[in-house]
Amino acid sequence: MERNQMHKHIFLMRQSFFDQGLLDEQFIQLEELQDDANPNFVEEVVTLYYRDSSRIILNIEQSLERNPLDFNKLDNYMHQFKGSSTSIGAKKVKAECTQFREYCRAGNGEGCMRTFQQLKKEYAILKRKLENYFQQSRQAGPSETACRPRMN
Amino acid sequence: MAPTIESVYLGNGGLSEGNNKRSNRFVKATWKNNLTALVVDNVELCRVLERENLRAYGVETVAVETGEAAVELVASGSTFNLIFIDIYLPTMSGPEAVRQIRAMGVRSKIIGLTAIITEKDEQDFFAAGIDEFYEKPLDPDWFVPIIREVDNQI
Repeated sequence: MERNQMHKHIFLMRQSFFDQGLLDEQFIQLEELQDDANPNFVEEVVTLYYRDSSRIILNIEQSLERNPLDFNKLDNYMHQFKGSSTSIGAKKVKAECTQFREYCRAGNGEGCMRTFQQLKKEYAILKRKLENYFQQSRQAGPSETACRPRMN
Repeated sequence: MAPTIESVYLGNGGLSEGNNKRSNRFVKATWKNNLTALVVDNVELCRVLERENLRAYGVETVAVETGEAAVELVASGSTFNLIFIDIYLPTMSGPEAVRQIRAMGVRSKIIGLTAIITEKDEQDFFAAGIDEFYEKPLDPDWFVPIIREVDNQI
């Protein structure tokens, strides 16, 4: 694919993340922190997110297998997970975290489990899309908007 | 080699101490004073983002993982104009760390952070001695005015 076309494709891909409600303004803030000195910052942060959060997801999974459920513990895990998800602008994932927490507060185990399944789905979808986006961005190389200009 | 996220984050390596050694960093604000901040957050991702956000706005920032590390740093004589500290820390809680820091006579601006605000959390944290309390993540809309206020008060 010709380079300009590649950049246009990537631009539209990125736009779709916002249009579909997968990402919010917080992601743009991440992009604002990317500069000439740190041109892969966004990808690195997202990688860190998936690394951190896979551990929390495992903890939640294990906790959901307990009987009776420890809603306090689940809530604490979700608190952490929500914080991370919010930090990268993972809008849909964040919404599921909020829902999960409501079910925790209500002591509704079934609600928690159902929400958690949905959360994992959204989480995986976003991961796949972002991985694809970063891979294509790297292939396309820097565009004019990829790095902020230096300002002295 | 451009600094990776690990090298920016790691402890007291050349990139975390001193004043933004990534010399071609685009800094979004400059201040009258050389401002310093301490970030306390046990979640690596949040810690990195909090630190990078503050550094992007021209604040020399150190990040630590635990309340104990924060207390130790302050006890060893490090001073910070601003401290951002998460309420949920694994061993020593955020409020406990703040209590100990305040007990040392520290008058820095301390901002409590949380992913989810509850009224009880807020009350506990204020009782411990924070000045303000915000939901994460750091947003320039609220943290830049705080930095400005601190800068003007020096």
